[in-house]
Amino acid sequence: MAATPDLLFGLRNSFYLGAYQAAINSSDIPNLPADDALERDVLVHQSYIALGSYQLVINEIDSSAPTALQAVKLLALYLSENKEAAISSLQEWLSDAAISNNLTLRLIAGTIYMYEQDYNEALKHTNSGGTMELHALNVQIFIKMHRSDYAEKQLKIMQQIDEDHTLTQLANAWLDLAMGGSKVQEAYLIFQDFSEKYQMTGTILNGKAVCCMHMNRFDEAESLLLEALNKDAKDAETLANLAVCSLHLGKPSSRYLNQLKLSHPDHMLVRRLASAEDNFDRAVQSIA
Amino acid sequence: MGFWSTHRVRVCRSSSPFILSSPPISFSLPLSGASAISAYIDLISRDPDLRPSGGRVAAMLTKFETKSNRVKGLSFHSKRPWILASLHSGVIQLWDYRMGTLIDRFDEHDGPVRGVHFHKSQPLFVSGGDDYKIKVWNYKTHRCLFTLLGHLDYIRTVQFHDEHPWIVSASDDQTIRIWNWQSRNCISVLTGHNHYVMCASFHPKEDLIVSASLDQTIRVWDISSLRKKVSPADDILRLGQMNADLFGGVDAVVKYVLEGHDRGVNWASFHPTLPLIVSGADDRQVKLWRMNDTKAWEVDTLRGHMNNVSCVMFHAKQDIIVSNSEDKSIRIWDATKRTGIQTFRREHDRFWILAAHPEMNLLAAGHDSGMIVFKLERERPAFSVSGDALYYVKDRFLRFYEFSTQKDTQVVPIRRPGSISLNQGPRTLSFSSTENAVLICSDVDGGSYELYIVPKDTAGRGDYMQDAKKGAGVSAVFVARNRFAVLDKTSNQVIVKNLKNEIVKKCPLPIGTDSIFYAGTGNLLCRAEDKVTIFDLQQRIVLGELQIPPVKYVVWSSDMESIALLGKHAIVIANKKLVHRCTLHETIRVKSGAWDDNGVFIYTTLNHIKYCLPNGDSGIIKTLDVPIYITRVSGRTIYCLDRDGKNCVISIDSTEYIFKLSLFQKRYDHVMSMIRNSQLCGQAVIAYLQQKGFPEVALHFVKDEKTRFNLALESGNIQIAVASANVIDDKDHWYRLGVEALRQGNTSIVEYAYQRTKNFERLSFLYLVTGNKEKLSKMLKIAELKNDIMGQFHNAMYLGDIQERVKILENAGHLPLAYVTAVTHGLKEVAERFAVELGENIPSLPKGKVCSLLMPPASLICHGDWPLLKVMRGIFDNGLDIGRAGNEEEEEVTGAEWGDEELDIVEMEGMLQNADIVAELEDGVVNEDNEEGGWDLEDLELPPDADTPKAAGNVRTSLFVAPTPGMPVSQIWIQKSSLAGEHVAAGNFDTAMRLLSRQLGIKNFAPMKPLFMDLLVGSHTYMHAFATAPAISIAVEKGWSEASSPNVRAPPALVFNFSQMDEKLKAAYRATTDGNFPEALRQFLNILHTIPLIVVDSRREVDEVKELIEIAREYVLGLKMEVKRKEIKDNAVRQQELAAYFTNCKLQKIHMRFVLINAMTICYKGGNYATAANFARMLLENSPTEIQAKKARQVLQHAGDKQDANQLNYDYRNPFVVCGTTYVPIYRGQKDVSCPYCGAQCLRSTLLSYSNKIIGNRYNYQLKAGFFFIEALELAFFPLSVKFGAALAFAWNVIDQLLGAWESLLAAIFKNPVTYLGYED
Repeated sequence: MAATPDLLFGLRNSFYLGAYQAAINSSDIPNLPADDALERDVLVHQSYIALGSYQLVINEIDSSAPTALQAVKLLALYLSENKEAAISSLQEWLSDAAISNNLTLRLIAGTIYMYEQDYNEALKHTNSGGTMELHALNVQIFIKMHRSDYAEKQLKIMQQIDEDHTLTQLANAWLDLAMGGSKVQEAYLIFQDFSEKYQMTGTILNGKAVCCMHMNRFDEAESLLLEALNKDAKDAETLANLAVCSLHLGKPSSRYLNQLKLSHPDHMLVRRLASAEDNFDRAVQSIA
Repeated sequence: MGFWSTHRVRVCRSSSPFILSSPPISFSLPLSGASAISAYIDLISRDPDLRPSGGRVAAMLTKFETKSNRVKGLSFHSKRPWILASLHSGVIQLWDYRMGTLIDRFDEHDGPVRGVHFHKSQPLFVSGGDDYKIKVWNYKTHRCLFTLLGHLDYIRTVQFHDEHPWIVSASDDQTIRIWNWQSRNCISVLTGHNHYVMCASFHPKEDLIVSASLDQTIRVWDISSLRKKVSPADDILRLGQMNADLFGGVDAVVKYVLEGHDRGVNWASFHPTLPLIVSGADDRQVKLWRMNDTKAWEVDTLRGHMNNVSCVMFHAKQDIIVSNSEDKSIRIWDATKRTGIQTFRREHDRFWILAAHPEMNLLAAGHDSGMIVFKLERERPAFSVSGDALYYVKDRFLRFYEFSTQKDTQVVPIRRPGSISLNQGPRTLSFSSTENAVLICSDVDGGSYELYIVPKDTAGRGDYMQDAKKGAGVSAVFVARNRFAVLDKTSNQVIVKNLKNEIVKKCPLPIGTDSIFYAGTGNLLCRAEDKVTIFDLQQRIVLGELQIPPVKYVVWSSDMESIALLGKHAIVIANKKLVHRCTLHETIRVKSGAWDDNGVFIYTTLNHIKYCLPNGDSGIIKTLDVPIYITRVSGRTIYCLDRDGKNCVISIDSTEYIFKLSLFQKRYDHVMSMIRNSQLCGQAVIAYLQQKGFPEVALHFVKDEKTRFNLALESGNIQIAVASANVIDDKDHWYRLGVEALRQGNTSIVEYAYQRTKNFERLSFLYLVTGNKEKLSKMLKIAELKNDIMGQFHNAMYLGDIQERVKILENAGHLPLAYVTAVTHGLKEVAERFAVELGENIPSLPKGKVCSLLMPPASLICHGDWPLLKVMRGIFDNGLDIGRAGNEEEEEVTGAEWGDEELDIVEMEGMLQNADIVAELEDGVVNEDNEEGGWDLEDLELPPDADTPKAAGNVRTSLFVAPTPGMPVSQIWIQKSSLAGEHVAAGNFDTAMRLLSRQLGIKNFAPMKPLFMDLLVGSHTYMHAFATAPAISIAVEKGWSEASSPNVRAPPALVFNFSQMDEKLKAAYRATTDGNFPEALRQFLNILHTIPLIVVDSRREVDEVKELIEIAREYVLGLKMEVKRKEIKDNAVRQQELAAYFTNCKLQKIHMRFVLINAMTICYKGGNYATAANFARMLLENSPTEIQAKKARQVLQHAGDKQDANQLNYDYRNPFVVCGTTYVPIYRGQKDVSCPYCGAQCLRSTLLSYSNKIIGNRYNYQLKAGFFFIEALELAFFPLSVKFGAALAFAWNVIDQLLGAWESLLAAIFKNPVTYLGYED
């Protein structure tokens, strides 16, 4: 007979694929064992964070909640502009041997240090893996560090655990994109598979669009991105990618950029632009 | 009795009416029981041909089976799905084996009927029985036409000749007779056998007969002389002669006697084409014989049957021999290898007879308790549809068929099954379009699959044999792009494998599965005996389940939302979660199906193409002669494979089901348009509509008034009902109309209906309830006229008219009643009068009752209709209207479109005039030889692993040292490139500016800032990776192809490229044509600004860029002057000059004409006739339009010899260029400087004089090169290869603002001697 069905499968998948609202909506699962219930709560709250509802998470998780949830709350705190406080309590917890090995805490630590761009510190907590999520995060960190060789090793580990796991597939796609060349096609096919299998999410559409752009198929990318924009008009990556795509199509990009600046002043592209402008002015000075 | 039938050895036949000349050869009884078996085992062990593996017992493909008395004779009809079975009980049955029904039975023989045969073309069959009679029947009339008498013992077989009107019969009287069934005579008696003749049959082509007899011989008879002699005319003449040489006929002579069997021979038959005979005998052997013109000999013996072989024949289409025997088995033999292929065994029934279908691949066998119709091999080709492509197997090849082009190509040869057994061919096929991989499943080795990869370029590779990957499994299907699932039945799990045929995982199945099908990515449809489930392989959960009779095939709709599950006799439609939608039952086999674009399921049964709507309604589209396998439905076209694996296209009439579908989907507009446009009619449609609750739609089809009336009533359409009622005009219809009208409250129609039927009582009542007193009084009068007292009384009552009532009663002679009425209502005078008349008979009035006036209640609404009942009618009547309105709208729309097109044409003109330049540019692009840029210099090596800590990979080691970060792609770009644009994209503005400054001398970059930013923005894409973690950015590289290797970095894909320049140029031209000069100027400037950041790929493009710069330069110069000219209002001379200089720019012809007209007009107005005339002449040379030319000629005429009024600083005879700063001519010899970037020139004097003044310059293109080089390779040689015409100059478009630091500029240039040399030239 089949192994016991994974009750959280759908929820987890929705979360990984960026269908956060769907994840939240489908979280009411009857007869859930306690362990699963905790994981469910962690996922749900992370989904809220992904949707930007930091305050809700902070309010909902009280001090009696398990460590895993506390960790999630920490991330919410961090993202809601309480960076210093969040980091100091994070450090405090991580030094506590009793809880420092909590998988969720490690995941959150990795995430927060990623935001801090302190990849060494992030890896300190995530490198040993333990969950698919941690491995996926490792892949992402290594990609950020431009070490696709390491990312590949992590991916291999994930593939050994479960080759068809959504995160394995996703991580595979990220790495394919980072490696470029013929791999982009494979990444595209992975996103294509997702789009056939699950509901279309902004993440999947963006993934496909990014692949298209890397294959220099900007027209196709644009239509995908516009579809993503329809789903969520404020999604940072959609706006950023639309700006990029429009430029390549010789269309004006300023509206998307302005929208991005307004709704996501912290986005990588916005920061990049700001620093580039300084850069430009400085360069002009030096040339003159 | 078993004894008789089993052994046929009739020791004593008292019934025999004649005495044989020689006694039957005595036969020893066959070995009984144990000894037979032991003898047999002995035989097997001695015979190398009888390997046990050769006779694998398998299930046969039974198509039809009957239960009856022993079947002794069988015959297929050549065209219709019929088979005759003659029984030991004397009955002949006619079966439809497709429908499985008994059509007829013929019961006139007395005793067993052993031989039966259909005529090839006539509605006849012949039978021969133990009553010595041969009967010829007409199955249409169900009559025995006549009986042929002559045989003197049991008749074993009868057979029609294919061409001649002959019948051959074989009998226990040791003769074979040939009969003419037209003259109904025996025309020949073939004697020679000296025991029962067990069978005799004509050769299909030649004048031969073969017969088998218990005398252990087989005889071949030559009947060619018979054929020559016999013509119907002399049959009668020959009769006497025939009788004369009875038993010694000379017309048919024995050609060969084949001896070799050592028991009686039961059957012998010819090979359909080759000179071969096969025979079966009581010695349990099947023998193969060969003959030529002169002799015949035994070729081989097939051993294996364990009891008397009763019948044997060659298969017409395959190289096999089929035999059956009293050992209860049918055996299939390979005719060339002469080995057993397969054995089909029955538990209890001995086989007696075999028959083959003359055309189709069907066989039939008769046994002790009935018969079976069966096939040896499946005929359904394995196929799989993917988008526009069909992959299927035919013969030994995988083939590819493209629906759109109907192109059919052979793709890959597939392995021939190693075993010789039947039904080992491909059964199913699964295709993965992304990986171009095909899985072919077959029954080889008890179920196995093979995986082939289809080469990308399918053409011309068809013969290359792939080494396919194989594996065992009952069924295998792709479940994802690069995963397939294989069913392992023994452990009831699926094994998921990748394309390398490696196991990825194993997954136990939730139900006992005997077959799997695709059910969307990652899902499987598992089929069990009585249900199907959809199983998610990843989550291992059941997504849907459906109880259903065994499913043979599944067909998904293209959107994967609906599934059709095809069983043997049923089709179940469900959604993707297996929620049942509808079930269709068929009486005959369902063969195949496909979804059409509208969600209608089109399927085939053995003999029909049918449809099934989403609501379960189904119907026949077309009748089929032969079964087909639908592969795809597209509109009215059905693509299918036939049994020979040939692709066919069938056109169908989809009107009916599309109509029903539209109705079902409530797309009434569509329904209406179909009603209007198509000839869709017939009772069926009307009945359907009525049944489905659309009488109002049906109304539109019907002409018959009665039906119309009924439909109108049903749909409540009173108007139509009235019209129909008028035509029909009978009482019943009027009455029903009245009832319906009353129901709706349409009283005027009710009135009309009652009037028409003269139904006065109802009419009166109607008037009463509607309060129509006036009409009621009329009714009263009518009743009076008709002398209808009851009517009068009623009406009076309704009217509340007591006097009248009293009067009526009085007139009717009911005086006491009249009196009572009068008294009650207080009509004293009248009452007294009656009292007088009545005298003593005055009725007594009841005491103590209070009387009141009986008055009809006043109706609420008087006259006219009541509020009408809302009748569901709108949709279609409106539908029609909407339809009509829609049409009008459409017309309007088309009108608008025409308008649009006209506008387009206007625009087109503008475009056309630009077309020549565009074409030139495009020509250039087409011819470019695609040299790859200088990017292959060096592949990027990531930092070697050596200097990274090894510990990194180890899980859970205490000491983890993070790897050093790698190099971002942008960094790699910077390292590899010396192109400004690419450095900008990498964010390295500093270097980019230095590069531009060095290569082009550009100093002030402020105007290029937005361009820099765009390049930077466009260099990376962003991707959300792990949900809550920050996004990843990925560098966009240029020139991607499927073959690009990963981790090798290509240069950035810049947002500006040369092809865009083309677009920009066109836009700028358009702006110019439209006269929007500031905009045009902005665009041309943008082109000039962008070009330094472009990277081009070929030398040709370099030339084109140069050309582009020149074009832009000319336009900018001209447009600047034009803008300037518009600014100055007061200086007419300067205006004329600027207009004149504009004509000096090199422009497109269309623009040049405008400029010339402009200059001409201005000069003419300014009184400078000579100059104007000059422009007019130039204009005429520039192929002007009619109007322009006319104008130019007028100017020329008017100008005549007149002189210029003002002196202009313009001399068209003296070649010059215009100074970009001051807009004055620079004539030859004057000192000037030109911009090396764009080549614009300006007077040195002005430049120098300006140079001191200007500080804080905005534009500062410091230029040193005469040419603009883009290509990396050229840049490398740059300092040496360049010749400097005028080394120092300024981008003309910025000069008017002037370039500040003139000194610093000079200083910079002096540092470079080469540059300097050019400069003072």
